[in-house]
Amino acid sequence: MDIQSIISPSRTLCGIEGISKKRALEILANTISADVPSIDADDLFRRLIARERLGSTGIGKGIAIPHCRVDNCDGTVGALITLKAPIDFDAIDSEPVDVLFAMLVPEYAGDEHLQTLAALASSLNDSEYRESLRTATSDAELYQAAIAHQMASPS
Amino acid sequence: MDLLNQVILFGGALFLVSVLASSLSPRVGMPLLLVFLIIGMLAGVDGLGGLQYDDVQSAYLLATLALAVILFDGGLRTDSHNFRVGLKPALTLATLGVIATAALCGAFAAWMLGLKWEQGFLIGAIVGSTDAAAVFSVLNMQGLALKKRVGATLEIESGLNDPMAIFLTIIMIEFMISGEDGVSWTMFGQFGWQMGLGALIGLAGGRLLAYGVGRLALSPGLYPLLALFGGITIYGLAAVAQASGFLAVYLAGLVVGNRVSRGLYNIQRFHDGIAWLAQISLFLMLGLLVSPRELLAYAPSALLVSLFLIFVARPVAVWLCLLPFQFSWQEKTFISWVGLRGAVPIVLAMFPWLAGFEHWPFFFNIAFFMVLISLVLQGWTVAPMARWLNLDVPSSSSRVQRVELGVPGQVGYEFVGYKIADGSPALRLSTDNLSLPAQTSLLCVLRDDQPLPLGQGHAFKPGDHVYLLATAADLVALDKAFVGVEEPERLSALAFFGEFAVTPRAKLADLGTLYGFSVPEDKANWSIARYIYNKYKQPVVGDRVRLGQVEFVVLAMDDARLTKISLKLHK
Repeated sequence: MDIQSIISPSRTLCGIEGISKKRALEILANTISADVPSIDADDLFRRLIARERLGSTGIGKGIAIPHCRVDNCDGTVGALITLKAPIDFDAIDSEPVDVLFAMLVPEYAGDEHLQTLAALASSLNDSEYRESLRTATSDAELYQAAIAHQMASPS
Repeated sequence: MDLLNQVILFGGALFLVSVLASSLSPRVGMPLLLVFLIIGMLAGVDGLGGLQYDDVQSAYLLATLALAVILFDGGLRTDSHNFRVGLKPALTLATLGVIATAALCGAFAAWMLGLKWEQGFLIGAIVGSTDAAAVFSVLNMQGLALKKRVGATLEIESGLNDPMAIFLTIIMIEFMISGEDGVSWTMFGQFGWQMGLGALIGLAGGRLLAYGVGRLALSPGLYPLLALFGGITIYGLAAVAQASGFLAVYLAGLVVGNRVSRGLYNIQRFHDGIAWLAQISLFLMLGLLVSPRELLAYAPSALLVSLFLIFVARPVAVWLCLLPFQFSWQEKTFISWVGLRGAVPIVLAMFPWLAGFEHWPFFFNIAFFMVLISLVLQGWTVAPMARWLNLDVPSSSSRVQRVELGVPGQVGYEFVGYKIADGSPALRLSTDNLSLPAQTSLLCVLRDDQPLPLGQGHAFKPGDHVYLLATAADLVALDKAFVGVEEPERLSALAFFGEFAVTPRAKLADLGTLYGFSVPEDKANWSIARYIYNKYKQPVVGDRVRLGQVEFVVLAMDDARLTKISLKLHK
């Protein structure tokens, strides 16, 4: 699976300004819902928040991968946003977060989505990839940078 | 007069060479103590220096003093929080473990070398204890970060087990001098006296010393000396009272290190230097004392006994002692491997001489050679062994460069300074949006030797000097924020701990639905914490428990309480 099949240009937003953790999740939910109408923004937001309550999805080095399961979607759906200024995300390494890559998984998906999630996390652990996302200055540039990366195929 | 000056010249040069050689040691991975020993041997009677030194009396005095200082320093550094996971296993190893090792090793020596059984057991007793100096120096080397359960056990064991070995050696010697009459049940009373009174003097003396350091008004440079001579006096007091001075001085160090907060940093730094001095003197002297040519004559027998000790006696003893505790086979293997022998056996090997035994060189040389083998074989391979067994955990405290200053009149607060380097996480932040721990405040930022006005949102740049007021507890968080965590790829936090942090209170069932793994019905309502405590009574950071396709790894603890768990997805 590659990044291209998870995000789309309209679900990629670059350099969002002055927000909080909650607001960031809300933006992710709204962005996805606007692009995939079968997903309800409020419901998605609640699910993302519920997941954060179990523990932060900040995986360190300024990256977060908010994720949850949703009812009405086929395949893995994601959205990517970068922030102007890093926000406090209670991440695993307590560093503030400025890149958020949301990933939704269909309710009845099997094991393979776990692998996609793990592969996404390890892709974002690559410092060059992270930097290429951070240096993007427009939505289109960010999208190109994001899909330029070959995700490690789950073995 | 000339002779005196020559002695000073030789002594100075010898220490100088040793200190310089220590910079080479990390590159070859050779244990430092071995380096000192070899330098001593080179300067000695069969080496280049040709120095003749065979005054066992002064050697014994110096060795005892050095050991007391090393143990005091070891105690100062032992964090009493380590006792939670390390004390019980360490106590078992330091008592039963020493007896088992000595008995096995002694029986083998007697059989293999065709000795009388009591002579065999004397060898066993002499090499029975692991060496605090060797273990402390090996564990602190190369920034090796071990799981707490393992590191704490080894450290406390090596601090506590010398009295046992000393006691066994004395019993064997008394037995050999006066036959069965010399050994009676009163010896066990004596043992109780040694340990009990030793512990009492150590703990009480330590408290008094800590009180003195905290209350007396001295010139700042004198506090470390107060601690040092307090420690030595405590050793002497216990030893004069026929109690175990080594136990007393270790415990005193422990109490001082954990009770004193004011100026502890200075005391520890001073003692770091003093402990180095003690180790260098000790091993140089032992190297001088031995005659390598004589040593070689005993090499084959000593080698056999050493190999038995390393590969059979110690592992068996460790395995037996740790049966009641939760150690994985990797942890037990590692603890067996770090059964480093050091100065104590060599010092104990002087006991037969002090007792006037005719064939004391036999014991001395055998013990000396066994220590050499242990340092070469085990000391050299401790770090690779830890990696091979996957026992090191990602460490955040690898040599961070920071400046620390005590705040006069304030307990608990410190001024700390960092120089921002390339790649520091702080570079992405500015003086405005820096998220600092609650009790920390940013004091100033110096750029190009000029203070920056705060509160104007300047972004940090490489080369900035940042000064803060912080509590000691927040230093780790500050290190992370200003220096960042650099770790080898293999040990990156992601690979080791897994992808996501979860709270210990999260229910297994909730996570199961989220990540699609099945939870046994009777455990659906369990929290992760309960699931982990169910497997480990005393969890430590790095412990992992599997459930379906995911693994829970202990990420952070506050004393005995789990605070953060991470979730590792399996690919």
